Amino acid sequence: MHNIEKVELIIVGGGPAGLSAALAAANYGVNVILVEEREFLGGQLVKQTHRFFGSEKEYAGTRGLKISNLLVKEIKENEHIKVLTSSRVLGIYKDKIVTILTNNKMMKYFPKALILATGASEKFLAFENNDLPGVFGAGAVQTLMNLYGVSPAKKILMVGSGNIGLIVSYQLLQAGVEVACVIEAAPKIGGYSVHASKLRRMGVPILTSHTIKKAVGKDKVEGAIICQLDSSWREIIDTDQFIKCDAICLSVGLTPLTDLLRQTNIKTVYISELGGYIPIRDENMETNIKNLFVAGDVSGIEEATSAIIEGQIAGLNVAKRINKNVKYQLEIEKQIMEAKEELELLRAGPVGEKVRKGLKKIGLNNSKNYDERMSNEEYDISFLMRTGIPSNDNLKMKLPQSEEIFNKGPIAISECFQKFPCDPCVKGCPFDAISEEGNINNLPYVDFEKCTGCAICVSKCPGLAMFVVQKNYTDSTSLVTLPYEFLPKPMKDQTVLVLNREGTEICEGIVKRVIDGKIQDKTTVVTVEVPKEYFLETRNIKVK
Amino acid sequence: MRIEQHPILEFKKGEKIRFYFNGKEMIGFKNDTIASALYGLGIYKLSESKKQKRPRGIFCAVGHCSSCLMTVDGIPNVRTCITPLKEGMQIETQSQEVIKDA
Repeated sequence: MHNIEKVELIIVGGGPAGLSAALAAANYGVNVILVEEREFLGGQLVKQTHRFFGSEKEYAGTRGLKISNLLVKEIKENEHIKVLTSSRVLGIYKDKIVTILTNNKMMKYFPKALILATGASEKFLAFENNDLPGVFGAGAVQTLMNLYGVSPAKKILMVGSGNIGLIVSYQLLQAGVEVACVIEAAPKIGGYSVHASKLRRMGVPILTSHTIKKAVGKDKVEGAIICQLDSSWREIIDTDQFIKCDAICLSVGLTPLTDLLRQTNIKTVYISELGGYIPIRDENMETNIKNLFVAGDVSGIEEATSAIIEGQIAGLNVAKRINKNVKYQLEIEKQIMEAKEELELLRAGPVGEKVRKGLKKIGLNNSKNYDERMSNEEYDISFLMRTGIPSNDNLKMKLPQSEEIFNKGPIAISECFQKFPCDPCVKGCPFDAISEEGNINNLPYVDFEKCTGCAICVSKCPGLAMFVVQKNYTDSTSLVTLPYEFLPKPMKDQTVLVLNREGTEICEGIVKRVIDGKIQDKTTVVTVEVPKEYFLETRNIKVK
Repeated sequence: MRIEQHPILEFKKGEKIRFYFNGKEMIGFKNDTIASALYGLGIYKLSESKKQKRPRGIFCAVGHCSSCLMTVDGIPNVRTCITPLKEGMQIETQSQEVIKDA
């Protein structure tokens, strides 16, 4: 007979939720076994080359892969955590025995507590020929290019404009892949407007109310046929359009990976807002089975920051039960409260509405932090959400009210018009010139009196939505400072093509300054001299 | 095709790994999975559908969709998208008979 090892806590899944859960529990002396199917930790974080939104406290402004490196380093240094990579949890039995296949050996464990942080899998879309090689899930495209350095295609069609679709499209451009267009079945862009704007100024079209009908090709994708949809999502006839591409990327949502959970007597319920069947759990992330916790996407689709916090909540709750030392009980309790508060704040804005609605269905939406006023957009952004380009009215709200302010020198302009939880510009400004009125969900505004135009915010903003303009550089020219994340990098005194918010070439400009230091962390800050009439339109450059 | 230059990431190509695809010698790199090595070499078809024999390639790349199952060193139904490439590996597109026997 095999030995059954008694252990304190088993965590299934080494992504953001699992990592933070392990740390939270182990920091209070709980002995943790962290099990990960792959040969490395980090989950999906390791392929995220973009800077994260959210609160600076939870690594906002830091690129996903760096967050992973930080967490993994801490995990490896913690003597209470034993990591099993390339290991698969095979079963969770009624008597709470957990079996794990590791090194071709089946191990049996009897844990006091269990945290499942198994994440999510990608949804699929039905269309003709959808099984052709070259039709990918967005995660697969990211894996190939960002993990293995393999280019997934020369030219790709992106289906879906949620944050994943928009981010992966941008990453494809960075990897040298052309993005034919992003199509979205809904009449508005699903992800954050700043991500959409980043694509638009690279010249990528975003077609809302469009869907894919068919993949074209014999052995591999050679193109796609897309069509337009009406307001009730029906195909409008005679709107077929052939898109030439050698891959099609689907980013049409995620669904919780609950296979393992379903081996237990856990109660699940279908909540469309949270991605499908989710386990019923309380605000401490505990399911109807005592000492069985969930965290991250498996408990409902959100994003990495909330997964990290949910992991903390689950890990701390386990610590509270296992570490009976009175000295720590209060401290743990306080940390749990803080984590919950932070999670609620992340969900409090308009972009958190879907999650709040979903959580309400399982009775978890009674927080004092969910203020209805907070959940409305500050102004009409319907044009922006249809096109990825701010309307003139939107722009006016963020520009100086009087022309005189431009006379003082360079000033920062924030092109952030959609409310979502994010604060690196506020926290990063050395002159306290950017404020969100104390709530991370509010829009940031620049105090032009305080702003010196130092351009720290240009590389801090995860949405690449901060610019610095110096309108009256000379009588006929202005300076525009913008973020640039492509190769080749521009050089000082070089003449470059200047693009507007739609990626259209509007004029030529001369590069006056290139800052590419450690603080910028590969978001190069480029200052370009342009004819004065273009100082408000200059939003991108193309190195010839 | 391999990405040679990237504004954010550095790809340190690991040492070369020799393997065999349907008997033919090929070169991949350390840190590759079987599927990433094949895709990098322009091999997109990894398996085929049961009845219609339609070509199948990488879809999810996280070991969940079974679109990339191949026979590796005689073991059928290996999830090639999450299996690290090793020196001398024999990788084969599997026929349906193999799957039935497995």
